[in-house]
Amino acid sequence: MKEIIKHLLLSAAAVAIVAGLSLPAIAHYGVPAPVDKPAVRAPGRSLIMRGDTSEKSVKADGSVRLTLCVTQGTLKVNGWNRKEVRVYIRDGNKFNFNVREKNETTGDPNWITIMGVGNKGRYLGGSDCIWGNDIEIDVPLNAIISIKGQETTAQIDSVKRVEISTVGGDISLRNIAAGISAVTRQGDVTVESSKGPIRLDTTTGNIVVFEATPGEIGDPFLAKTHGGTISLQSVQHRQVEVGSISGSVLYNGTILNGGSYNFNSNRGSMRMLIPADSSFQLQATFGAGNFNSELNIKMETENIQAGPIKTIVGRLGTGGDAFVKVSTNNGSISIRKQ
Amino acid sequence: MKDKCLDIGIIQAFLDGEVSHDASARVSGHIALCDACASMLAEAEDQSTLVFSALEREFNTLVPTQRLWSKINGSIATERDSLPFWQKVYAFLTVALVNPSFAAAASLVIVIGIFAAVWMNRTPVSTDLAVSVSPPPQTAQQISTVSMPAVSLSSPDTDDREIEPARASTSDYRVERAAYRSESRRTNAAPAGDASATISNGYMAGEESYVRTISALAKTVEEQKDGGILRPSERIAYERDMAVVNDTIAKMKTEVKRNPKNESAKQVLYSSYQNKIDLLNSVSQKEELLVSLK
Repeated sequence: MKEIIKHLLLSAAAVAIVAGLSLPAIAHYGVPAPVDKPAVRAPGRSLIMRGDTSEKSVKADGSVRLTLCVTQGTLKVNGWNRKEVRVYIRDGNKFNFNVREKNETTGDPNWITIMGVGNKGRYLGGSDCIWGNDIEIDVPLNAIISIKGQETTAQIDSVKRVEISTVGGDISLRNIAAGISAVTRQGDVTVESSKGPIRLDTTTGNIVVFEATPGEIGDPFLAKTHGGTISLQSVQHRQVEVGSISGSVLYNGTILNGGSYNFNSNRGSMRMLIPADSSFQLQATFGAGNFNSELNIKMETENIQAGPIKTIVGRLGTGGDAFVKVSTNNGSISIRKQ
Repeated sequence: MKDKCLDIGIIQAFLDGEVSHDASARVSGHIALCDACASMLAEAEDQSTLVFSALEREFNTLVPTQRLWSKINGSIATERDSLPFWQKVYAFLTVALVNPSFAAAASLVIVIGIFAAVWMNRTPVSTDLAVSVSPPPQTAQQISTVSMPAVSLSSPDTDDREIEPARASTSDYRVERAAYRSESRRTNAAPAGDASATISNGYMAGEESYVRTISALAKTVEEQKDGGILRPSERIAYERDMAVVNDTIAKMKTEVKRNPKNESAKQVLYSSYQNKIDLLNSVSQKEELLVSLK
């Protein structure tokens, strides 16, 4: 039996090698590749990249806007107390700084794009993109970072504002001073100790936020995931919009006076951990799940008859004019004391 | 009789019973009168006894008879007939694959089969691309009838039931291939004026715009996701989330129909519509991002 299996495996391997070698030739000469379709297959993280290691720096304005796209790699952006942008890439491609605009007063670049060099044919398009095993960027503390990424794990710390959009990979943001817009299609988003308007969006990942505060009155906090869980702790924004389709939502923090909070999920559960002296107007809508609260609610209207949807409208505490709307179709709603 | 002694070969043949009856009588008569031949016979007998005792077990072994052979062959045939098909195949392969040439040929056939299957599966993708490059002009009704059934793939009992023109042909759209949708689109096309009137009917205030937006998006997204924009895991998550949203929409629509004053149900319905739009948008945005990275 072993002999048979051995023969079979050896033969299959030989045939597969021959077929594998001949297939590209067949594909090249036989069937034209669909040119209009964007290549969507990412290189894959397990790919061992071999490239150059290079480092460059350029003098920059303190409020420089840095734009770049990254096809693959672990990206770390760190703010430092220098008016200089430094980029280090290990095992990646070469790059140049493209100064788009200069400060009229100082003459220092205030808009810089990092341009990849010699990328063509290496990965998906990306003639202007950079890639590498490790990409480290140091920027002034007041820099605005704008990143497009493909398969990029990004860690950004201590900059003014971040706009990042990636196809896949986790995004971790920390100490962002004046606003975040982070979108990833497949990955987690983590935000810590950040200020300003915050918009977080992931398709299949989780969202975790710890200590977020508005930079100005009216700054919104938006977090949306389709399949992941959202966990918020110490979010000080007064306009909070949180949604998940099949994930749960946990809110652990205070309900601020005058705030508008909207938590919804189609299938997940909603859990709020709030101070016992919280005061706000509550509208809880739920379907197949149930509602329970450790805090006393003064019911105003209650519609919990049989049917696909049940609603409770009531008030917790006195004096507060915040409005909290919690909605889930299949999950339960729970309000607990901190 | 005394003048000529017997040959040892004749004595051995006599002992073995291989001589004829007359010869046996002659040999017996001679041995009775000849001491030397009697002595030779005794000696030969001793030797035979010794040999036969040594070979006794060998001689006692049962020799199968013809009847026994028939029985054995019959049993084998019966057992072979009662074997399941896969065991027969296994037995055949076990014997056949010992031969390296046969094993190599079998592997070649398998590999060619796999490549052929992969190759044939690529053809519909090319068709989709061709369609997406030069989409035919469509009315609003056409968009609705094309895309809404696609939405109902994950959950048949969705809001799509409200769209009367699409209702009758919903089951026809379960095939996901673009070519089939094109065929159905032509057969279900209705005059644009009538279509608008039908869509306007039966919707709450503001609902129609959601439905129209979803219809337009769904058409694009169906082509994109069939074109491989989503990885398998993403595709599964997408279909799951879409099913959840569609389920909620269907439930809320039923509830709103039953009780038009249920504001909570309306809010959840609108919220679910928005979730559906976001879900569809996520696919489009992914493609846009990939194109921008190109």
